[in-house]
Amino acid sequence: MNFIVVGCGRVGAELCYHLFKRGHQVVAVDINKEAFNRLHPDFRGRTLEGEGLAEGVLERAGIHEADGLAAVTNSDTLNAVVAHAARIIYNVPNVVARNYDPNLRPVIEAFGLQTVGSTYWGAQRVEELLMSPSQRMVYSAGNGEVEVYEVQIPEAWDGHTLGELLEPLKQCYPVALSRAGHSLLPESTMRLQARDMLDVSSTFEGIGTLTARLSQKAEA
Amino acid sequence: MNVLISGGGRTGARLANLLLNQNYKVRLIENRRELLGYLHQELPTEVIYEGNPVDPSVLEAAGVREVHALAAVTSNDSTNLAICYLGKTLFDVPRTIARVNNPNNAWLFNENFLVDVALNSADVFAHLIQEEMSLGDMMTIFKIRRGNYSVIEEKVPAGAKAIGIQLKDMDLAEHCVIAAIIRDGVMTLPRGDSTLKAEDEIIAVASAEGAQKLSDLLAYPVYPMRNGKKKE
Repeated sequence: MNFIVVGCGRVGAELCYHLFKRGHQVVAVDINKEAFNRLHPDFRGRTLEGEGLAEGVLERAGIHEADGLAAVTNSDTLNAVVAHAARIIYNVPNVVARNYDPNLRPVIEAFGLQTVGSTYWGAQRVEELLMSPSQRMVYSAGNGEVEVYEVQIPEAWDGHTLGELLEPLKQCYPVALSRAGHSLLPESTMRLQARDMLDVSSTFEGIGTLTARLSQKAEA
Repeated sequence: MNVLISGGGRTGARLANLLLNQNYKVRLIENRRELLGYLHQELPTEVIYEGNPVDPSVLEAAGVREVHALAAVTSNDSTNLAICYLGKTLFDVPRTIARVNNPNNAWLFNENFLVDVALNSADVFAHLIQEEMSLGDMMTIFKIRRGNYSVIEEKVPAGAKAIGIQLKDMDLAEHCVIAAIIRDGVMTLPRGDSTLKAEDEIIAVASAEGAQKLSDLLAYPVYPMRNGKKKE
Protein backbone atom coordinates (compact mmCIF):
# COMPACT_ATOMS: atom_id res chain seq x y z
CA MET A 1 0.00 0.00 0.00
CA ASN A 2 1.00 3.65 -0.43
CA PHE A 3 1.49 5.79 2.65
CA ILE A 4 2.42 9.42 3.17
CA VAL A 5 4.01 10.45 6.44
CA VAL A 6 4.03 14.23 7.01
CA GLY A 7 6.63 15.22 9.59
CA CYS A 8 9.89 13.29 9.87
CA GLY A 9 10.70 13.82 13.53
CA ARG A 10 11.23 10.93 15.94
CA VAL A 11 7.69 9.62 15.58
CA GLY A 12 7.61 10.14 11.81
CA ALA A 13 10.98 8.50 11.15
CA GLU A 14 10.05 5.50 13.29
CA LEU A 15 6.67 5.17 11.58
CA CYS A 16 8.25 5.39 8.10
CA TYR A 17 10.61 2.56 8.96
CA HIS A 18 7.82 0.37 10.40
CA LEU A 19 5.70 0.81 7.28
CA PHE A 20 8.68 0.22 5.00
CA LYS A 21 9.62 -3.00 6.87
CA ARG A 22 6.10 -4.30 6.26
CA GLY A 23 6.65 -3.86 2.55
CA HIS A 24 4.70 -0.65 1.89
CA GLN A 25 5.56 2.29 -0.35
CA VAL A 26 6.35 5.23 1.93
CA VAL A 27 6.86 8.93 1.20
CA ALA A 28 8.31 10.96 4.08
CA VAL A 29 7.54 14.70 3.88
CA ASP A 30 9.28 17.35 5.95
CA ILE A 31 9.92 21.06 5.54
CA ASN A 32 13.49 20.60 6.76
CA LYS A 33 15.65 18.18 4.80
CA GLU A 34 17.95 17.62 7.80
CA ALA A 35 14.99 15.75 9.34
CA PHE A 36 15.53 12.86 6.90
CA ASN A 37 18.81 12.09 8.70
CA ARG A 38 16.63 10.55 11.41
CA LEU A 39 15.41 7.83 9.03
CA HIS A 40 16.82 4.36 9.58
CA PRO A 41 19.83 3.68 7.31
CA ASP A 42 17.96 0.72 5.76
CA PHE A 43 14.89 2.81 4.89
CA ARG A 44 14.21 2.69 1.14
CA GLY A 45 11.30 5.02 0.69
CA ARG A 46 10.95 8.42 -0.93
CA THR A 47 11.76 11.67 0.87
CA LEU A 48 10.18 14.96 -0.15
CA GLU A 49 11.26 18.34 1.17
CA GLY A 50 8.36 20.78 1.42
CA GLU A 51 5.52 22.16 3.47
CA GLY A 52 2.72 19.67 4.12
CA LEU A 53 0.09 22.36 3.51
CA ALA A 54 1.22 23.10 -0.03
CA GLU A 55 -0.95 21.64 -2.75
CA GLY A 56 2.04 20.89 -4.96
CA VAL A 57 3.86 19.04 -2.18
CA LEU A 58 0.88 16.80 -1.40
CA GLU A 59 0.40 16.06 -5.08
CA ARG A 60 4.08 15.23 -5.60
CA ALA A 61 3.87 12.94 -2.58
CA GLY A 62 1.22 11.03 -4.55
CA ILE A 63 -1.81 11.90 -2.46
CA HIS A 64 -4.22 10.84 -5.21
CA GLU A 65 -2.97 7.26 -4.95
CA ALA A 66 -2.37 7.19 -1.19
CA ASP A 67 -4.05 4.50 0.90
CA GLY A 68 -3.23 6.32 4.09
CA LEU A 69 -1.71 9.53 5.44
CA ALA A 70 -0.23 10.19 8.86
CA ALA A 71 0.30 13.80 9.98
CA VAL A 72 2.84 13.50 12.79
CA THR A 73 4.61 16.88 13.03
CA ASN A 74 4.99 18.64 16.38
CA SER A 75 2.30 21.17 15.44
CA ASP A 76 -1.23 20.08 16.36
CA THR A 77 -2.90 22.55 14.03
CA LEU A 78 -0.70 21.54 11.11
CA ASN A 79 -1.47 17.86 11.76
CA ALA A 80 -5.20 18.56 11.97
CA VAL A 81 -5.25 20.70 8.83
CA VAL A 82 -3.15 18.33 6.68
CA ALA A 83 -5.19 15.31 7.82
CA HIS A 84 -8.51 17.11 7.25
CA ALA A 85 -7.42 18.23 3.77
CA ALA A 86 -6.32 14.68 2.91
CA ARG A 87 -9.69 13.33 3.95
CA ILE A 88 -12.04 16.03 2.62
CA ILE A 89 -10.23 17.16 -0.54
CA TYR A 90 -8.41 13.97 -1.61
CA ASN A 91 -10.64 11.28 -0.05
CA VAL A 92 -7.64 9.45 1.38
CA PRO A 93 -9.27 6.38 2.97
CA ASN A 94 -7.27 6.28 6.18
CA VAL A 95 -5.96 9.36 7.93
CA VAL A 96 -4.35 9.74 11.35
CA ALA A 97 -3.23 12.94 13.10
CA ARG A 98 -0.75 12.98 15.94
CA ASN A 99 -1.68 14.95 19.04
CA TYR A 100 1.45 16.66 20.34
CA ASP A 101 0.24 19.01 23.07
CA PRO A 102 -2.43 17.28 25.21
CA ASN A 103 -4.09 20.71 25.75
CA LEU A 104 -4.79 20.90 22.02
CA ARG A 105 -6.34 17.44 21.70
CA PRO A 106 -9.83 19.06 21.43
CA VAL A 107 -8.66 20.81 18.23
CA ILE A 108 -7.98 17.48 16.52
CA GLU A 109 -11.16 15.97 17.94
CA ALA A 110 -13.23 18.85 16.56
CA PHE A 111 -12.16 17.77 13.08
CA GLY A 112 -13.37 14.24 13.90
CA LEU A 113 -9.93 12.78 13.13
CA GLN A 114 -8.36 9.59 14.40
CA THR A 115 -5.59 10.67 16.72
CA VAL A 116 -2.76 9.30 18.78
CA GLY A 117 -1.28 11.41 21.56
CA SER A 118 2.17 10.05 22.22
CA THR A 119 2.75 12.39 25.17
CA TYR A 120 -0.47 11.54 26.97
CA TRP A 121 -0.29 7.85 26.06
CA GLY A 122 3.32 7.49 27.18
CA ALA A 123 2.69 9.25 30.48
CA GLN A 124 -0.29 7.01 31.21
CA ARG A 125 1.66 3.84 30.38
CA VAL A 126 4.48 4.83 32.74
CA GLU A 127 1.97 5.72 35.45
CA GLU A 128 0.35 2.27 35.19
CA LEU A 129 3.66 0.46 35.45
CA LEU A 130 4.67 2.57 38.44
CA MET A 131 1.40 1.98 40.25
CA SER A 132 0.84 -1.73 39.65
CA PRO A 133 3.63 -3.78 38.13
CA SER A 134 1.74 -7.11 38.58
CA GLN A 135 -0.87 -6.57 35.86
CA ARG A 136 -0.06 -6.59 32.19
CA MET A 137 -1.76 -4.39 29.62
CA VAL A 138 -2.43 -6.39 26.44
CA TYR A 139 -4.46 -3.99 24.35
CA SER A 140 -5.11 -0.28 24.41
CA ALA A 141 -8.23 1.18 22.77
CA GLY A 142 -8.61 4.75 21.61
CA ASN A 143 -6.15 6.94 23.46
CA GLY A 144 -5.84 4.46 26.32
CA GLU A 145 -9.10 5.34 28.08
CA VAL A 146 -10.13 1.66 27.89
CA GLU A 147 -7.57 -1.12 27.93
CA VAL A 148 -7.50 -4.90 28.17
CA TYR A 149 -5.42 -6.19 31.06
CA GLU A 150 -4.28 -9.67 31.96
CA VAL A 151 -4.25 -10.63 35.67
CA GLN A 152 -3.45 -13.87 37.43
CA ILE A 153 -5.95 -15.37 39.88
CA PRO A 154 -4.26 -15.82 43.29
CA GLU A 155 -4.78 -18.77 45.72
CA ALA A 156 -7.13 -16.68 47.82
CA TRP A 157 -9.77 -16.71 45.07
CA ASP A 158 -9.46 -20.42 44.17
CA GLY A 159 -12.94 -22.00 44.07
CA HIS A 160 -14.87 -18.71 43.99
CA THR A 161 -16.97 -17.75 40.97
CA LEU A 162 -16.06 -15.06 38.47
CA GLY A 163 -19.30 -13.26 39.42
CA GLU A 164 -18.24 -13.02 43.06
CA LEU A 165 -14.99 -11.39 42.00
CA LEU A 166 -16.26 -8.91 39.40
CA GLU A 167 -19.87 -8.07 40.21
CA PRO A 168 -19.11 -5.47 42.91
CA LEU A 169 -16.70 -3.69 40.56
CA LYS A 170 -17.55 -0.92 38.16
CA GLN A 171 -15.70 -0.16 34.90
CA CYS A 172 -14.26 -3.68 34.67
CA TYR A 173 -15.66 -6.42 32.39
CA PRO A 174 -14.37 -9.97 31.73
CA VAL A 175 -13.13 -10.70 28.20
CA ALA A 176 -11.49 -14.15 28.41
CA LEU A 177 -10.43 -16.74 30.97
CA SER A 178 -7.39 -18.89 30.14
CA ARG A 179 -6.55 -22.11 31.90
CA ALA A 180 -3.77 -24.52 30.94
CA GLY A 181 -3.31 -22.90 27.57
CA HIS A 182 -7.00 -22.84 26.59
CA SER A 183 -9.22 -19.81 26.70
CA LEU A 184 -12.95 -19.63 27.34
CA LEU A 185 -15.56 -16.92 27.01
CA PRO A 186 -16.16 -16.05 30.64
CA GLU A 187 -19.50 -16.41 32.43
CA SER A 188 -20.20 -15.18 35.92
CA THR A 189 -20.97 -18.72 37.21
CA MET A 190 -17.53 -20.08 36.26
CA ARG A 191 -15.40 -21.25 39.19
CA LEU A 192 -11.95 -19.75 39.28
CA GLN A 193 -8.77 -21.71 39.90
CA ALA A 194 -5.51 -20.34 41.20
CA ARG A 195 -3.17 -19.33 38.36
CA ASP A 196 -6.01 -18.88 35.86
CA MET A 197 -5.25 -15.90 33.62
CA LEU A 198 -8.18 -13.49 33.43
CA ASP A 199 -8.42 -10.83 30.72
CA VAL A 200 -10.60 -7.85 31.56
CA SER A 201 -11.62 -4.78 29.62
CA SER A 202 -11.30 -1.88 31.99
CA THR A 203 -10.57 1.76 32.63
CA PHE A 204 -7.48 2.74 34.60
CA GLU A 205 -9.66 3.18 37.72
CA GLY A 206 -11.39 -0.17 37.10
CA ILE A 207 -8.16 -2.17 36.97
CA GLY A 208 -7.07 -0.49 40.20
CA THR A 209 -10.17 -1.72 42.02
CA LEU A 210 -9.71 -5.23 40.58
CA THR A 211 -6.08 -5.58 41.66
CA ALA A 212 -7.00 -4.25 45.11
CA ARG A 213 -9.77 -6.86 45.35
CA LEU A 214 -7.53 -9.70 44.16
CA SER A 215 -4.96 -8.92 46.83
CA GLN A 216 -7.62 -9.12 49.58
CA LYS A 217 -8.84 -12.45 50.90
CA ALA A 218 -12.13 -13.51 49.33
CA GLU A 219 -15.14 -13.48 51.67
CA ALA A 220 -15.80 -17.03 52.87
CA MET B 1 -21.23 44.29 16.59
CA ASN B 2 -18.97 41.92 18.56
CA VAL B 3 -15.71 40.75 17.05
CA LEU B 4 -13.15 38.26 18.33
CA ILE B 5 -9.64 38.58 16.95
CA SER B 6 -7.44 35.51 17.30
CA GLY B 7 -3.78 36.43 17.16
CA GLY B 8 -2.37 39.75 18.14
CA GLY B 9 0.55 40.61 15.92
CA ARG B 10 0.60 44.00 14.20
CA THR B 11 -2.35 43.00 12.03
CA GLY B 12 -4.46 41.94 15.00
CA ALA B 13 -3.61 45.04 17.03
CA ARG B 14 -4.26 47.38 14.10
CA LEU B 15 -7.59 45.71 13.38
CA ALA B 16 -8.62 45.90 17.04
CA ASN B 17 -7.84 49.62 17.16
CA LEU B 18 -9.71 50.29 13.94
CA LEU B 19 -12.81 48.46 15.19
CA LEU B 20 -12.67 50.05 18.64
CA ASN B 21 -12.68 53.49 17.01
CA GLN B 22 -15.90 52.52 15.26
CA ASN B 23 -17.46 51.44 18.57
CA TYR B 24 -17.32 47.69 17.90
CA LYS B 25 -17.04 45.39 20.88
CA VAL B 26 -13.64 43.75 20.47
CA ARG B 27 -11.67 40.98 22.16
CA LEU B 28 -8.19 39.95 21.08
CA ILE B 29 -6.51 36.66 22.06
CA GLU B 30 -2.74 36.30 22.26
CA ASN B 31 -0.34 34.19 24.30
CA ARG B 32 3.12 35.14 23.06
CA ARG B 33 4.89 36.89 25.94
CA GLU B 34 6.96 39.07 23.65
CA LEU B 35 3.81 40.47 22.00
CA LEU B 36 1.71 41.02 25.09
CA GLY B 37 3.88 43.93 26.23
CA TYR B 38 3.38 45.64 22.89
CA LEU B 39 -0.35 44.92 22.89
CA HIS B 40 -0.83 46.43 26.34
CA GLN B 41 0.73 49.65 25.03
CA GLU B 42 -1.56 49.71 21.99
CA LEU B 43 -4.90 48.54 23.39
CA PRO B 44 -7.09 48.89 26.50
CA THR B 45 -6.43 46.07 28.98
CA GLU B 46 -10.00 44.71 28.90
CA VAL B 47 -9.66 44.00 25.17
CA ILE B 48 -6.73 41.61 25.60
CA TYR B 49 -7.31 37.99 26.56
CA GLU B 50 -4.21 35.91 27.32
CA GLY B 51 -4.29 32.36 26.00
CA ASN B 52 -3.56 30.10 23.06
CA PRO B 53 -5.72 31.49 20.23
CA VAL B 54 -6.58 28.01 18.87
CA ASP B 55 -7.49 26.35 22.18
CA PRO B 56 -11.30 25.85 22.20
CA SER B 57 -11.53 26.50 25.94
CA VAL B 58 -9.68 29.81 25.47
CA LEU B 59 -11.94 30.82 22.57
CA GLU B 60 -14.97 30.06 24.70
CA ALA B 61 -13.66 31.93 27.73
CA ALA B 62 -12.89 34.93 25.51
CA GLY B 63 -16.56 35.03 24.48
CA VAL B 64 -16.60 33.38 21.04
CA ARG B 65 -20.26 32.39 21.49
CA GLU B 66 -21.35 36.04 21.54
CA VAL B 67 -19.50 37.29 18.48
CA HIS B 68 -20.79 38.19 15.04
CA ALA B 69 -17.42 37.66 13.43
CA LEU B 70 -14.20 35.82 14.21
CA ALA B 71 -10.96 37.03 12.62
CA ALA B 72 -8.09 34.50 12.58
CA VAL B 73 -5.00 36.61 11.97
CA THR B 74 -2.08 34.71 13.54
CA SER B 75 1.13 34.36 11.57
CA ASN B 76 0.53 30.60 11.22
CA ASP B 77 -1.73 29.43 8.39
CA SER B 78 -2.71 26.07 9.85
CA THR B 79 -3.64 27.80 13.11
CA ASN B 80 -5.82 30.29 11.24
CA LEU B 81 -7.57 27.47 9.38
CA ALA B 82 -8.17 25.51 12.58
CA ILE B 83 -9.54 28.61 14.35
CA CYS B 84 -12.14 29.19 11.61
CA TYR B 85 -13.14 25.52 11.57
CA LEU B 86 -13.52 25.38 15.36
CA GLY B 87 -15.39 28.68 15.43
CA LYS B 88 -18.06 27.37 13.06
CA THR B 89 -18.31 23.75 14.20
CA LEU B 90 -18.07 24.20 17.97
CA PHE B 91 -19.40 27.72 18.48
CA ASP B 92 -21.67 28.57 15.51
CA VAL B 93 -19.83 31.79 14.69
CA PRO B 94 -21.79 33.51 11.87
CA ARG B 95 -18.77 34.80 9.95
CA THR B 96 -15.13 33.74 9.82
CA ILE B 97 -12.33 35.77 8.29
CA ALA B 98 -8.80 34.42 7.97
CA ARG B 99 -5.42 35.87 7.13
CA VAL B 100 -3.34 33.94 4.61
CA ASN B 101 0.36 34.29 5.38
CA ASN B 102 1.87 32.14 2.65
CA PRO B 103 0.14 32.52 -0.75
CA ASN B 104 0.93 28.83 -1.44
CA ASN B 105 -1.52 27.90 1.29
CA ALA B 106 -4.37 30.05 -0.07
CA TRP B 107 -5.98 27.03 -1.77
CA LEU B 108 -7.12 25.71 1.63
CA PHE B 109 -8.89 28.90 2.77
CA ASN B 110 -12.41 28.05 1.63
CA GLU B 111 -15.50 26.05 2.60
CA ASN B 112 -13.34 22.98 3.35
CA PHE B 113 -12.17 24.77 6.47
CA LEU B 114 -15.32 26.89 6.89
CA VAL B 115 -13.48 30.12 6.01
CA ASP B 116 -16.00 32.72 4.79
CA VAL B 117 -13.45 35.32 3.76
CA ALA B 118 -9.73 34.82 3.15
CA LEU B 119 -7.39 37.79 3.02
CA ASN B 120 -4.07 37.12 1.43
CA SER B 121 -1.89 40.10 2.27
CA ALA B 122 0.86 39.26 -0.21
CA ASP B 123 -1.75 38.89 -2.94
CA VAL B 124 -3.66 42.07 -2.04
CA PHE B 125 -0.41 44.00 -1.97
CA ALA B 126 0.81 42.56 -5.28
CA HIS B 127 -2.49 43.46 -6.95
CA LEU B 128 -2.34 47.00 -5.62
CA ILE B 129 1.17 47.42 -6.99
CA GLN B 130 0.18 45.94 -10.32
CA GLU B 131 -2.84 48.25 -10.45
CA GLU B 132 -0.66 51.24 -9.73
CA MET B 133 1.69 50.29 -12.54
CA SER B 134 -0.84 49.34 -15.16
CA LEU B 135 -3.19 52.23 -14.51
CA GLY B 136 -0.46 54.86 -14.59
CA ASP B 137 -1.69 58.19 -13.28
CA MET B 138 -5.21 57.01 -12.72
CA MET B 139 -6.33 57.76 -9.20
CA THR B 140 -9.19 55.94 -7.53
CA ILE B 141 -11.31 58.49 -5.67
CA PHE B 142 -13.53 55.86 -4.05
CA LYS B 143 -14.84 52.37 -4.66
CA ILE B 144 -18.50 51.41 -4.90
CA ARG B 145 -20.20 48.01 -4.58
CA ARG B 146 -17.35 46.23 -2.77
CA GLY B 147 -14.77 47.55 -5.16
CA ASN B 148 -16.44 46.25 -8.33
CA TYR B 149 -16.92 49.85 -9.50
CA SER B 150 -14.75 52.87 -8.86
CA VAL B 151 -14.89 56.59 -9.32
CA ILE B 152 -11.57 57.50 -10.89
CA GLU B 153 -9.67 60.57 -11.92
CA GLU B 154 -6.98 60.72 -14.57
CA LYS B 155 -4.98 63.28 -16.47
CA VAL B 156 -4.77 62.95 -20.25
CA PRO B 157 -1.09 62.77 -21.23
CA ALA B 158 0.26 64.14 -24.50
CA GLY B 159 0.26 61.47 -27.19
CA ALA B 160 -2.52 59.35 -25.63
CA LYS B 161 -4.70 57.34 -28.02
CA ALA B 162 -7.91 58.95 -26.77
CA ILE B 163 -7.00 62.47 -27.91
CA GLY B 164 -9.24 63.67 -30.70
CA ILE B 165 -11.73 60.78 -30.57
CA GLN B 166 -15.34 61.63 -29.75
CA LEU B 167 -16.46 60.00 -26.51
CA LYS B 168 -19.26 58.09 -28.23
CA ASP B 169 -16.68 56.40 -30.46
CA MET B 170 -14.47 55.25 -27.61
CA ASP B 171 -16.33 51.93 -27.16
CA LEU B 172 -16.56 52.33 -23.39
CA ALA B 173 -20.37 52.22 -23.12
CA GLU B 174 -21.02 49.17 -20.90
CA HIS B 175 -18.16 49.56 -18.51
CA CYS B 176 -17.31 53.20 -18.12
CA VAL B 177 -18.98 56.59 -18.14
CA ILE B 178 -16.91 59.76 -18.34
CA ALA B 179 -18.77 62.04 -15.94
CA ALA B 180 -16.71 65.22 -16.11
CA ILE B 181 -13.90 66.87 -18.05
CA ILE B 182 -11.84 69.52 -16.29
CA ARG B 183 -10.01 71.78 -18.75
CA ASP B 184 -7.98 74.79 -17.57
CA GLY B 185 -9.65 74.53 -14.16
CA VAL B 186 -13.18 74.62 -15.57
CA MET B 187 -15.40 71.56 -15.28
CA THR B 188 -17.74 70.64 -18.12
CA LEU B 189 -20.25 67.80 -18.37
CA PRO B 190 -19.27 65.89 -21.50
CA ARG B 191 -21.56 64.88 -24.36
CA GLY B 192 -21.13 62.09 -26.87
CA ASP B 193 -19.42 64.41 -29.33
CA SER B 194 -16.96 65.85 -26.78
CA THR B 195 -13.28 65.16 -27.38
CA LEU B 196 -10.29 65.15 -25.05
CA LYS B 197 -7.14 67.28 -25.21
CA ALA B 198 -3.75 66.71 -23.63
CA GLU B 199 -3.62 67.99 -20.02
CA ASP B 200 -7.40 67.56 -19.53
CA GLU B 201 -8.43 65.84 -16.31
CA ILE B 202 -11.35 63.49 -16.43
CA ILE B 203 -13.56 61.93 -13.78
CA ALA B 204 -15.19 58.60 -14.66
CA VAL B 205 -17.31 55.87 -13.11
CA ALA B 206 -15.98 52.49 -14.23
CA SER B 207 -15.94 48.77 -13.60
CA ALA B 208 -12.53 47.10 -13.31
CA GLU B 209 -12.76 46.21 -17.00
CA GLY B 210 -13.81 49.73 -17.90
CA ALA B 211 -10.96 51.23 -15.90
CA GLN B 212 -8.54 49.01 -17.80
CA LYS B 213 -9.97 50.11 -21.18
CA LEU B 214 -9.88 53.74 -20.18
CA SER B 215 -6.34 53.39 -18.94
CA ASP B 216 -5.28 51.93 -22.31
CA LEU B 217 -6.84 54.90 -24.10
CA LEU B 218 -5.15 57.37 -21.76
CA ALA B 219 -1.78 55.63 -21.52
CA TYR B 220 1.50 57.32 -22.32
CA PRO B 221 2.66 56.26 -25.76
CA VAL B 222 4.94 53.21 -25.57
CA TYR B 223 8.51 53.33 -26.86
CA PRO B 224 10.77 50.32 -27.31
CA MET B 225 12.83 49.77 -24.14
CA ARG B 226 16.59 49.90 -24.56
CA ASN B 227 19.36 48.91 -22.24
CA GLY B 228 21.97 51.44 -21.22
CA LYS B 229 21.96 55.17 -21.69
CA LYS B 230 19.34 57.03 -23.63
CA LYS B 231 20.68 57.95 -27.06
CA GLU B 232 21.34 61.64 -27.56
